[in-house]
Amino acid sequence: MVKYTLIVTEKPDAASRIAEALDTAGKAKKILHKGVPYYLAQREEKIVVVPALGHLYTVVGETKGQGQYPVFKVKWVPKYEAERGAARIRVWLQTITKLAEDADTLIDACDYDIEGSIIGYCILKYACGGREKTSKRMKYFTLTKEELQKSYSSLLPNLDFALIEAGLARHEVDWLYGINLSRALTSAAKNSSGQYATLSTGRVQGPTLKFLATRERSIRCFVPTPYWKINAKVEIGNAVFEADHEKKVFETKGEAKAVITKCKGKNGEVKAVDPRKFMQTPPLPFDLGALQNEAYRFFGYTPMRTSSIAQRLYLGALISYPRTSNQKLPPEIGYEAILRNLAKNREFAKLAGELLAKSELKPTEGKKDDLAHPAIYPTGKLPEKMLVVSEKNIWNLVVRRFMAVFGEPAVRQIVEATINVNGEKFVLYGKQTMEEGWLHFYQPFMRGKDAVLPPMKEGQKITVKQVTLEDKFTKPPPRYNPSSLLKKMEEADLGTKATRAGLMQTLYDRKYIRDDRIEVTDLGFEVTDVLRKYCPSVVSVEFTRKLEEEMNEVIKGKLTREQILSDAVEILTTVTTSLKENEIAIGDQLSRAVNKSKLEEKVIGACPTCKNGKLLILYSKKTRKRFAGCTNYFKGTCRTTFPLPQKGFLKLTSKACKACNWPTLLVWLKGRQPWKLCLNTECSLKTRGKKR
Amino acid sequence: MFVENEGEEAVNCKICDRKADEGEFCALHLKAYENITNRYSVWRKALKISWKEYLNQIAKNSLTGTWVKEVTNYLIENGETRNVRQS
Repeated sequence: MVKYTLIVTEKPDAASRIAEALDTAGKAKKILHKGVPYYLAQREEKIVVVPALGHLYTVVGETKGQGQYPVFKVKWVPKYEAERGAARIRVWLQTITKLAEDADTLIDACDYDIEGSIIGYCILKYACGGREKTSKRMKYFTLTKEELQKSYSSLLPNLDFALIEAGLARHEVDWLYGINLSRALTSAAKNSSGQYATLSTGRVQGPTLKFLATRERSIRCFVPTPYWKINAKVEIGNAVFEADHEKKVFETKGEAKAVITKCKGKNGEVKAVDPRKFMQTPPLPFDLGALQNEAYRFFGYTPMRTSSIAQRLYLGALISYPRTSNQKLPPEIGYEAILRNLAKNREFAKLAGELLAKSELKPTEGKKDDLAHPAIYPTGKLPEKMLVVSEKNIWNLVVRRFMAVFGEPAVRQIVEATINVNGEKFVLYGKQTMEEGWLHFYQPFMRGKDAVLPPMKEGQKITVKQVTLEDKFTKPPPRYNPSSLLKKMEEADLGTKATRAGLMQTLYDRKYIRDDRIEVTDLGFEVTDVLRKYCPSVVSVEFTRKLEEEMNEVIKGKLTREQILSDAVEILTTVTTSLKENEIAIGDQLSRAVNKSKLEEKVIGACPTCKNGKLLILYSKKTRKRFAGCTNYFKGTCRTTFPLPQKGFLKLTSKACKACNWPTLLVWLKGRQPWKLCLNTECSLKTRGKKR
Repeated sequence: MFVENEGEEAVNCKICDRKADEGEFCALHLKAYENITNRYSVWRKALKISWKEYLNQIAKNSLTGTWVKEVTNYLIENGETRNVRQS
């Protein structure tokens, strides 16, 4: 049997790229074994490249027992043993094991970060006969042919065991927290109501939800207070500008009205013109968080979506590895070569040419560092096939940001002109770009548009067209959105760049939060309240931050995985005891919230007859037919019902009918376009349809 | 009005059915109530309005928080007069 080198990758796309890059002719052969793809590449030696499907192994408790807690002993098992719907992983692992038998050299080519290192380590240890200690490591930042070939010719002699230890510790600790706390909440609610509902929390999920709940509480308890603003519409040249009174806020209406009376019918005079120039330094290279924030700002993509688009672009070798927290671009990535390649694209040719003409290419860099990967950058490779719009948007953003970091600082000017109107001072603000610098490369993604003022001189007479009083109210703090929450998590060191977006999704899935402008549900409030009351340390940011620091100590070799696990068990012993002791109270609180949340899922809208009841989707006990009925029916005060279509899926819209303001529903019938149903049989939209 | 008598059974919040921590309201609605009473002085100074007018104003303001609105409506419906002397 001819021996060969077996390379294990994290995903099938990466396997295909690596095999093609390493094959002398650039044409690796794809083989399918029971549906599992692997690739044969021929070099001086024979190479087999087999992919994983992300994590093939997972953490479980050593002892079996559905819903039992506390659980303190863990082990790693193939995913198909622990998760439903992971059956094909059995065949996948069998294929890898078979391929490893005849391999004389094993190489881990999974992504060079904590998750990738664990994926490779588990496969080499459990599926390849415990060969993790003799395996080599491929380290690369992009999936371009040149870099992959270079990486293969300079293999690292060992896996990064410090990184692996930290990763294993993180998975195990998170599993211990997640399983014990979630089971405590779920079982308390189930024992109280007799009904099962999945309630989860965890080491990062708890504090994140607490942030959101605290903000939600401020919003729901917010009392606006009145204040007034005064502005003057002034004519300069042929244009009209709006100047604000120097006193930004008037706290009493009387005081504001007195100023209006004083300025009525008066013209103004320019008192002072104060232009101030300032430099705007180029932006920092993208780390994943910054890319996710910018993509949300410009395209409205959620962090999860941006992350998956960036991953696709990486697998297409268009950008470097995206799951990085680095804000630096080392010269080794080859700035010039990248720009030269980008110049082949018509859209970027001129901009790249301008940068290439500079005597020196030096990127602006941030403080954040990541030993595994540089900041996100375009590889220079141009798309081989048409990109879908979302991919094109993200690629364009990454390319322009990359070019912008090499740009010169922009010079901008702010002008503040003070206008005197009968002793009252009004201020006119202008903003102008004097030298574009890096902004030229970052169009159309720059913030802050110009507002240019005409030239003005001290003493110049100004016509005041109107002085107006604006009624204002203080506003509640803004709701978090996916982008600002991500930023907050980063600041608080909650989770990792790879896990934050997924965790946010879990909060939505559990119905703890809803909507894009994040609103915490009653269920979310109750879960936070329970955790805050009975195990405050678990939702404390300091606690999570301390654990993150300890994980970093493991990477440095100053702490061991066993020490971290033993600390976690000690804390969890206290926490689970407290939760068990208070199970009845917790169960009562949670089951009420779960029932309320289930009820809310059935609410169509407010009852148009009695006004204070809610319309629910109900089923007749006699006929099993569905209908909409008022919640006050059970109190005997309202007997309103409406018929509903008996076929199809009904989706709540929480929107009132535009014509009559009655509640509406979306009806989905197989093979038909969904249609909006207004419950009002006399709705003008329906009667108009009938007349036609 | 907001002190629970000793020996009496715990009552539920008049608004949301959660357990009332003190008196009529749960901790969440109690916080909303405190904010309503605290903010009255600012409104009184700004607009010279009575407690009743103040409640009506915040009840119809779209920026008012939902728990504050619930408490305000409850106070209006029950003719709350505790703060009348302030007006």
